[in-house]
Amino acid sequence: MGLFQKLAHFLGVKKREVNVLVVGLNNSGKSTVVNKFKNEEERVAEIVPTVGFSVERFQNQNLAFTAFDMSGHGRYRDLWEHYYKDCNGIIFVIDSSDRLRLVVVKEELDLLLQHPDICNKKIPILFFANKMDSKEALSSVKIAAALGLDKIMDKPWHISASNALTGANIKNIQGIGMRRPRAGINPRTFQFCFGSSYS
Amino acid sequence: MSSFKRDKKEEEDGGGNPFQNIEKTTVLQEARTFNETTVNPRKCTPILTKLLYLLNQGETLSVKEATDVFFAMTKLFQSRDVILRRMVYLGIKELSSIADDVIIVTSSLTKDMTGKEDLYRAAAIRALCSITDATMLQAIERYMKQAIVDRNPAVSSAALVSSLHLTKLAPDVVKRWVNEAQEAVNSDNIMVQYHALGLLYHIRKTDRLAVTKLVAKLTRMSLKSPYAVCMLIRITAKLLEEEDSGNDSPYFDFIESCLRHKSEMVVYEAAQAIVNLKRTTSRELAPAISVLQLFCGSPKPTLRFAAVRTLNQVAISHPAAVTACNLDLENLITDSNRSIATLAITTLLMKQIATFVSEISDEFKVVVVQAIRALALKFPRKHSVLMNFLSAMLRDEGGLEYKASIADTIITIIEDNPEAKETGLAHLCEFIEDCEHVSLAVRILHLLGKEGPKTKQPSRYIRFIYNRVILECPSIRAAAVYAMAQFGAACPDLLENIQVLLARCQMDSDDEVRDRATFYSNILNTQDKSLYNNYILDSLQVSIPSLERSLKEYIQGETNEPFDIKIVPLVPIPSPEEREVKHKSEGMLISQGPIRPVPVSREENFTEKLSLIPGIQELGPLFRSSEVVELTETETEYFVRCIKHCYTNHVVLQFDCLNTLSDQLLENVRVQLDPSEGYTITDEIPCPKLPFNETGTTYVILKFPENDLPNSIGTFGAVLKFIVKDCDPTTGLPDTDEGYDDEYILEDLEITLGDQIQRISKVNWGAAWEEAASSYIEMEDTYSLSSMNTLDEAVKNIIQFLGLQPAEQN
Ligand SMILES: Nc1nc2c(ncn2[C@@H]2O[C@H](COP(=O)(O)OP(=O)(O)O)[C@@H](O)[C@H]2O)c(=O)[nH]1
Ligand SMILES: [Mg+2]
Repeated sequence: MGLFQKLAHFLGVKKREVNVLVVGLNNSGKSTVVNKFKNEEERVAEIVPTVGFSVERFQNQNLAFTAFDMSGHGRYRDLWEHYYKDCNGIIFVIDSSDRLRLVVVKEELDLLLQHPDICNKKIPILFFANKMDSKEALSSVKIAAALGLDKIMDKPWHISASNALTGANIKNIQGIGMRRPRAGINPRTFQFCFGSSYS
Repeated sequence: MSSFKRDKKEEEDGGGNPFQNIEKTTVLQEARTFNETTVNPRKCTPILTKLLYLLNQGETLSVKEATDVFFAMTKLFQSRDVILRRMVYLGIKELSSIADDVIIVTSSLTKDMTGKEDLYRAAAIRALCSITDATMLQAIERYMKQAIVDRNPAVSSAALVSSLHLTKLAPDVVKRWVNEAQEAVNSDNIMVQYHALGLLYHIRKTDRLAVTKLVAKLTRMSLKSPYAVCMLIRITAKLLEEEDSGNDSPYFDFIESCLRHKSEMVVYEAAQAIVNLKRTTSRELAPAISVLQLFCGSPKPTLRFAAVRTLNQVAISHPAAVTACNLDLENLITDSNRSIATLAITTLLMKQIATFVSEISDEFKVVVVQAIRALALKFPRKHSVLMNFLSAMLRDEGGLEYKASIADTIITIIEDNPEAKETGLAHLCEFIEDCEHVSLAVRILHLLGKEGPKTKQPSRYIRFIYNRVILECPSIRAAAVYAMAQFGAACPDLLENIQVLLARCQMDSDDEVRDRATFYSNILNTQDKSLYNNYILDSLQVSIPSLERSLKEYIQGETNEPFDIKIVPLVPIPSPEEREVKHKSEGMLISQGPIRPVPVSREENFTEKLSLIPGIQELGPLFRSSEVVELTETETEYFVRCIKHCYTNHVVLQFDCLNTLSDQLLENVRVQLDPSEGYTITDEIPCPKLPFNETGTTYVILKFPENDLPNSIGTFGAVLKFIVKDCDPTTGLPDTDEGYDDEYILEDLEITLGDQIQRISKVNWGAAWEEAASSYIEMEDTYSLSSMNTLDEAVKNIIQFLGLQPAEQN
């Protein structure tokens, strides 16, 4: 525990709770990613395809996360929107080896960004270009370009290549956590902060 | 609803139901808090409680309302509060049939059912089964199998009972769980064993051999659960009834051995089973009777009650056998009256009930009435004693249901026993003199109109009927007018008097009464027998809900042409088998539930479905839909069934096809027919796609041979044609876009005369037949009946073959 958390704990300051929504096409590795966020003892041994959604919890830094791990099957994608309204952040997982469906990914991402419950909110989005271990995997730069991420101006976002099987680049993303809210930003909204900008 | 709430309030004088004043809109509004990032169980649990309360009070939600609140509720899965979670399960079950996309909670529920928290597991299984559909069942099959054999009895029971419910959805999938069910039968837990046997039997029950084996095995193994033994007794008794070999079989020995079981429940069940067997001899009956006799003296009221009830049944079926129990019975009713014959005992029982009949509840009075009905049917000659008794009860205080059951009983007796008719009608006449229940009075007037003219002295009923016109409310007056018209039409002697009475009714203050009087009076003036038959004596043959629907449609459309009543489907007349089935209960583990409202006819149902198909509207009204014919065996690759819909000049063949191959996607599925001479195929509607485990429908429309009824009987060769795309069994997605043509030979399809004949019941068959001679074509045909031995059998066969309805119970 860092000094700050200790202090917060001592003062009885409640832990901040955040809800994140985990979306992406089926088979991209969402459930595997979420599983890796958990402590070793709480992980499940076998990941089965998600039907509908599954609620998972984990701690990171001083935050208690509740993740809604959604199913990515076509039949369920229309149902993601039921969970947009009250989430504080989005984790978007992409299978970087599935070049064929990259257009579908873009389509779904655009729909999400245009949704009335999302488009006016400054909620952070973290992209995982997952399955980076695969031979066919595209780099995160290429994925970002293919999805046109540079056009997202009004929301903080970050993309990282990852391997959900080993956990590489997942938990060690620096500072998935809380940044002191800037003026004008909803204090309930947390941000993904990276590198030195974390304070 | 609101008045109901008020009554409640008065009853509880202020103590108060905390949910009394809640309203749907407020609760739905409150439910939005479920969406908040942090769930507060103390706030959410009461809101869910209110929602469940409303739903259980019969409040209805629109699909949108239900879906919104359902999705809000799914967010409560993030809370780990046990009570809240269990409320969520209940909410899911309540909303599962109304809201859209309820399968969204599948993963959350499977997680709970397999997780560590035991308090979740059983309830999660039940919720899961309520949201699952046939396509999802595959995904949870593995968990269900594990749950059935789980060590926790609550989990195992929940899984077993849920599986039983799922058999309605996907019988073939549940069949695959038979090994797990078998294992659960060996459980030490009495409930698990019972539920497992229930499921096992349900899976096997259509396979006689398998049931026989099951019974043979279980009767030897001495089940631990008394509930399971009771169930086994029922299964065994059923086998025994189906078997022809008499009661000298191991089955009977088993049931008899249960009379010595240590559980009273089992002993009673065995006695009850023996008593109800059709062919029990008095020697076999004796041990059963003696345990019932023993129960009569039991300190436990339930046992005494059960014993008396069963003895009451025996009194009707085996009068002599109960004599031994007279004393015990009399002790129970604390009366010194002696009787010897069984009928006397039961009548005696009823006589005694009559002395305190005002003190027992209506519900129990109805039981008494039913007992009398059974007696009257059994002992027709005693009708006058029983009739008197019933009429005394009729004069007593009592609610509508009670009075209706008495009137029903009298009507049943009249129908069953012509000798009882006159007395029965007289009692009913007397009853309507002072009857506070409008619907009942209307029914009785209707009956008088139908039956009165056929008695020896019809005139005596007129006074009773006309009295109603003077004294009652408009709906009763209208019914009385109709009843009088029936006398006028059926009894020429009375016509003149009736016309006088009807003329007076034309001055009535009520429109309906005046209209009817004018209408009937005019028809009677014509002296035209055929008009009498069509508009007075025969009741409406069409189905009322259909008539309402057709009229609504007619009013909405252009009304240039007069309404044609011929387009309205007729009321189905239940065949004798159907009537019988109604009386028999499925029994065993699944309760029957409340009786549903009057069903619409099959034709009515199909009309709606068929009208969606292009081209079918032009064929005119649907005349008759046949029974389902199977064109393949049940367990084949493709399961095809056919329903034949007959129209005036066309027949539409509906083929329902089920694809049972998980690695095939079928496309452009159609049936190629080889029709017999005279038929022409006018259209074919293929089924575009048929994925695994789904039923799709393809249609063929044919034109009947022109003016040639005899040649419309034919046998068609049939082949199922389709394009196959091989696909991945897990995803159901085709491997390639290329498919190949394939076909599958079906059994021949027959069009019979019976498909084209509709049952109609005519009150006066003779007259209708005479009359039909002018407007219809009479057709004669000779059928060889040599294979039949009795007249009864011959009639039955003809009915089946031609789909006819026997005229006037000839
Ligand atoms: N090679 C590789 N496979 C992965 C990775 N992440 C997930 N998978 C596999 O991808 C499949 C789908 O994962 P899952 O978490 O169920 O995907 P979801 O449908 O998005 O939840 C599983 O077989 C995982 O083992 C990864 O980083 N590399
Ligand atoms: Mg998943």
